[in-house]
This record gives sequence, structure tokens and C-alpha cells, in this order.
Amino acid sequence: MNPQLESYRYDDAIVRKFLWATFAWGLIGMTVGLLIALQLAYPALNLGIPWLSFGRLRPLHTNAVIFAFAGNAFFTGAYYSSQRLLKTRMFSDALSKFHFYGWQFIIVCAALTLPLGFTQAKEYAELEWPIDIMIAVVWVVFAINFFGTIAKRRERHLYVALWFYIASIVTVAILHIFNNLSIPAGPLKSYSIYAGVQDAFMQWWYGHNAVAFFLTTPFLGLMYYFMPKAADRPIFSYRLSILHFWTIVFLYIWAGPHHLHYTALPEWASTLGMIFSIMLWMPSWGGMINGLLTLRGAWRKVVEDPVLKFFVVAVTAYGMSTFEGPMLSIKSVNALAHYTDWIIAHVHTGALGWNGLLTFGMTYWLAPRLFQTRLHSQKMAEVHFWLATFGIILYVTAIYSAGLTQGLMWRAYDSTGRLEYPAFIETVARLMPMYWLRAVGGSLYLAGMVLFGYNLVRTWMTRPATYDEPVIQAAPLSKDYRDHAAPRPAGALARFMQAAWHRTWERLPLTFTVMVTLAVLVASLFEIIPTFLIRSNVPTIASVKPYTPLELAGRDIYIREGCFNCHSQMIRPLRYETDRYGEYSKPGEFVYDHPFLWGSRRIGPDLAREGGKYPDLWHVRHMRQPRDIEPKSIMPSYPWMLTNTLDFNGIQRKVDVMAMLGVPYGGALTNAPAMARAQAESIGAAIAATGGPSDLADKEIVALVAYLQRLGRDISAPAAVTAAGAP
Amino acid sequence: MRLSEIMSHAGLSGYAEVALVIFLVAFLLILVAVFAPSRKREFDAASRMPLDDVHPQSPRQPPGDAS
Repeated sequence: MNPQLESYRYDDAIVRKFLWATFAWGLIGMTVGLLIALQLAYPALNLGIPWLSFGRLRPLHTNAVIFAFAGNAFFTGAYYSSQRLLKTRMFSDALSKFHFYGWQFIIVCAALTLPLGFTQAKEYAELEWPIDIMIAVVWVVFAINFFGTIAKRRERHLYVALWFYIASIVTVAILHIFNNLSIPAGPLKSYSIYAGVQDAFMQWWYGHNAVAFFLTTPFLGLMYYFMPKAADRPIFSYRLSILHFWTIVFLYIWAGPHHLHYTALPEWASTLGMIFSIMLWMPSWGGMINGLLTLRGAWRKVVEDPVLKFFVVAVTAYGMSTFEGPMLSIKSVNALAHYTDWIIAHVHTGALGWNGLLTFGMTYWLAPRLFQTRLHSQKMAEVHFWLATFGIILYVTAIYSAGLTQGLMWRAYDSTGRLEYPAFIETVARLMPMYWLRAVGGSLYLAGMVLFGYNLVRTWMTRPATYDEPVIQAAPLSKDYRDHAAPRPAGALARFMQAAWHRTWERLPLTFTVMVTLAVLVASLFEIIPTFLIRSNVPTIASVKPYTPLELAGRDIYIREGCFNCHSQMIRPLRYETDRYGEYSKPGEFVYDHPFLWGSRRIGPDLAREGGKYPDLWHVRHMRQPRDIEPKSIMPSYPWMLTNTLDFNGIQRKVDVMAMLGVPYGGALTNAPAMARAQAESIGAAIAATGGPSDLADKEIVALVAYLQRLGRDISAPAAVTAAGAP
Repeated sequence: MRLSEIMSHAGLSGYAEVALVIFLVAFLLILVAVFAPSRKREFDAASRMPLDDVHPQSPRQPPGDAS
């Protein structure tokens, strides 16, 4: 035996932990998804309980599926594959455990705070600041553990899957920190340091890259490891995988602004986002083809092996959603699809198809190896595969048609040149059959998930009394290693083409990580900084004033209830939008909006010009029971707003933080509660005078009404003078 | 003078072309690095890395040090 050899064992206990967490959170996240899908078809299902209403549960669903289910799935696969690709145990068992328990604790915090209405109101970044800090800490621990493992590896070359992991770890850290910069206004309340257009830009830079670097690159890493494993043959083209990696890292980071087409975002930014999105077509499909062609000559195995079935459909779903994404980023397509269910269908092709099925395939492959036994039932895995596949098909076709239907109805004109469906509710009522069908599709997928869990538990029950942990021997990397003494070709060009330089830093994780970080940071800076620093991008409007203290409190209730999940506040400069909602939204209207509340889906109508449309009493009755006013409405009822007492004294702190962020508050700086009380008295009196309840002056509803009645009115206020660059 | 005023007058519109050139060059460099014919053997070895849980695939000893 070679005395130089070192002995080690792989740590599979941590992989098993993450595997169970993946299943448990997946089950919860998908169940909540089904519940809110049913609430859209049948609104009374929230049972009148605040923490069961759609606006509060929708972020719980998205966070649970993205960060809890897909996140734990990534960790499962990464901990399994990294050790084996690097031929070493993880850097530190203690850090692995800290990562595991820390991450699960964060998820529990999220599951408790989101239904209670603590939210930053930014999609997929809803969690409040203390939880954000925990996420940053746990992520850094994960990074230390991961890079520490790389440092003590016994394999010189870093396999491409590890590149994808590195890019994900680095970029998620950057995204998370910059998008969540905010000033606390209480233990579980904060205001984004960015306002309006800039906040929207940061958010969708984050939001899109969360999809890219939390749901795409980590799972591509998993694909590049587990696809060859399951097929028992190397990836189709290793070269293509490297090209796939660099193009994804370079291009993805720019694509965010396509979420803001036709909004108040400067047009150059949205065009930039569109062009980079379209370029992403190429690497995404390159990656898909690379995955599928790995099975060339092995298609027979796909017939027999449920693992490969899951992988094939997962990679196909990746191809479909990365075809659709660039298509949706084209402005004219986006004009139709934005704010509709089309986007919901798109993300579910990705999440249910790509992330879900890849996770299932990977877990079915891992389970017998981790539990060192046979999979309880191949047949059951087959049934799961078909349930999931048909569930996805039902879900997305129903929701595609819902999206197209509603998008087309919004823009339809009759022969006299008027909107064909001027009542928004008509375009909602038409969707109900599709919503029921979607719930059926989701139920099938969830049924598959239950079967998955049963199969896993039964497999686990036949595990050996103690797991066998084989000792593996490998030589350490030699410090005085020199590259192959390849013949040195004559001529500079020929030497360059030998590409020794790239080979060198493929082996140097630190240099490599710096390069990835640079690619990501440079792109972000080039794209985002001009919006912050070039003043013509956000022309100020003299008549736009800060919210009054009461309106600010009302805005926070709007945020707490998650109203922005169903109502946009952004009228696009398109004829059918201005005909329906009024004057289109200007960038200067949002300069005091910390955070921005533009929304991304119109399950209900846009509210950007809601102020003054209806009397105060209308809003009171509408919040108490929307179906008293519009029988077909699917909005939840909010009776608790009429009974909850408003915390007037807490308003001062909100105003103080806003002032710290540069909102010119003047008189409210010293007596916000008194000002709020005075405004509340007058609104309460007006409601009573028009025949409404007379006891509302100190209730939450008054603040919300004050906020809603303010929306979009400043621009037509008497002193409206628009001037670019005005102070 | 505020930073935003300086930035507004800095004439940054040419940056788009600069970025285009930088990106194109980076892309070409990567193409060269990936498709250099001399690297075929190395990539073949790398692509087999997931398939072997026990034996490192890339060189771990100084050349000539048989083990």
C-alpha cells in the first residue's frame, strides 16, 4: 500500500437529513399552493381567518417551494455530489449541521411570520430583516463549508457541476444582501432603502436572478452530476457544459428588467433586459440538449428506470420554460402576458417540471444508496411519475388558457371603439373553470408527492441497523504539482490556443470564484447604477408629496395583508390600460414609495389611480364583504379591519424611518400621531355621515381608506408642474 | 456638485459599445479555451469524474511520479 494515501469517509448522514427536509417542506409548500389555488376558485375557503387569506399565504407558498423545497433539494444533491467529486469529506461536520439546522429554523420563522403579515412586500424577498440576517449568516456558513471542502480536495480539476454550485453560492449572497438593504422600523418591520423605480429595479434584478441562481444554476449542477450517474455514462459534451456555464453566468444577470416592461422603468433598461433574455435562448437550449443527448444509445433504460423518466421530463421542462422565458421577455408578447396567469403557468412549468421532477428523480436515485437498501417500490415511483406529469400538463394548460383569455379580454375593443369588457370582474369570472381545472392538476401533483413520501418512508424502514461507511483512500494533491510538460508549440498564437491559462484557473477555485463574481458584479453595476445616478431617468414631479402619517399607516396595512399580490399599482402606457384605469404611471410618482408596490399580477384591477374613484363608505363595505358589492368577486373579505384598533402611537416611528430615508416629512416629524388622529376623525365622520358605521375613526380600516383614496391623485393636484431635474 | 449631476454629464452613452466589445472578447476567449483541440483528453477525463466515487480522475502527482 502506498504510504502517501489518506483515508476518509463520506458524510451521508447530512445528505439524509436534507433529503427528509426536502420532502417535508415540499409537501407543506405544495399543500399551501393547493389551498390558495382553491381559494381563487372559492374565496370563502379562507374561513374568514386573517392568516389563511390569499395575500398572506401566497408568499408562504412561493417561499416554501423555492427556498425550503428546492433549496433543501439543492443542498441534498450538493452535499452528496461535492464530497464525491472532490474525493473528500465535507470541510466540517459541525458547519454542515449548523447549515442544516439554521436553514430549517429560518424556514420555520418564515412559516410563522408570513401568515402573520410580517413582510417586506418584495416578491421572494418577503422575509423581514431579522430573518434576512439569519439567512445571510447561514449562507456564509454554507459557503465556508463548501469552499473549505474544495480547499482540502484530492481531485485537482473541479468538475463542471461544482462551477454551477460556486456561481450559485456567490451570486445568491450578493443578490440577497443588496435587495434586502432596509432600515428597521420595529422588530419585524422595515422599509427598503430604495424607493419607487429604483426599488423595483433592485427587486427584479434580485427576483429574476433568484430564479437564475437558486432554481436554475444549482439544479443544472445537479443535472450535470446525477444525469451521468443515473445513465451510467458521461455527459454528452463536457465542452458544451463549460460553454453553457459561462454564457449562463454572463447573460442571466442582465435579464431582470424584462419583468418591468412598459412600467415606469426607463426604456433603455427594459430593452437591455429583453435583449439579454433573448440571448439566453442559446445557452439554455445548449444545456438541455447536452442533458438529453447524454442518454443517446441508452433510451432503452428510460423505459425501465423511473429515475431517468423523471430526468428526461425535467430537462424537457427546462427546455420549454427557457424557450418561453425569452419569448415572454419580448415587449409585444409581454404586453399581452404581463399581469396575467400566463406568467403563473410559465413559472409552474419551471418549478413543477424542472425543479420538482429533477428533485424526485435525484431522490429516487439517492434513496436506495443513502438508506443502503432497495427502493421499496419501483412501480410506485412510476405511478408518481405519471401523476406528476399529468398534473403539470393539466395545471399549465388550464392556466395558459386563463392567462390568454384574460389578457385578450383586457385589450378587446368593440366596434364602437370602447372597451368590450369595461367591468374587470367579467374578465375574472371567465377564468373560474380554468381555476378549478388547475386545482385538479395541482391535486394530482400533490398526490404524487404523498406517494413519494410513502415510498421513501417504506424504503427507510428496511435500512440496515447501522449504515456501512466505507473507508476510501486517495492521495492528497501534491503541492509541487506542475502541469503536463506538453510540447511547447512554436508561435504565440499556437501557444495561446493551447489554452493553458484557462486550464490553470479551472484548478484555482479562488481565482475562479473571483472571475464569476466579477462577471456578476460588473453586469449588475453597468445595468443598475445609471438608474440611481443619472437624474433624467426619474424626472421629479413637483405636486407629488409624501403620504400623510395616516396614509403611511394604511399603506402598511395594505402591505401586511399582501394586497400587492393581486393588485398592481402601475398603469402601462397602452391605450387599453389608460382607457380602463386612467393616466399612465410616471416614474416621478413613486419617489416616496419605500418599498415600491407595483405588483406583478392582476387578479384584481390595478389600483394606481384608485383614489377618489369611490366614496369612503364604498371601501368600508367592500373590505368587509366584497361580494356585497360585486357578487362574483373573488377577493377575500377583511372584516377584521373594521374591528382592529389602529396603533396611532406607532406611526411616529414609521415617519421617523421614512424621514431617515430622505422623505421630506416636515411637521409630521414631531406630531405624526396627532395628525393621523385628526385625519382619521374626519374620515370616520364622513363615513358616518354617509350612513356607515359611526365607530370607525380609530380602526384600521380608516387608515387603509385614507391610503386608497390618496393613490394616484398627486399628479392631477392643482400645482402639477412636471419638470425633469426639478428639486 | 452632486454625484448624480457629474454622472449625468459624463457622457456614458458610449459605454454600451465598450461593454459589447468586452463581452465579445470574453466570449471568444472562452470559445478558444473550450474548443482547443489539445484539451480533448483532459475533458474526457473530467467528464468521467461523476462516475467514479473512489478514484480521482485528474493528475494528483507531479509528472513522472508513478503511483
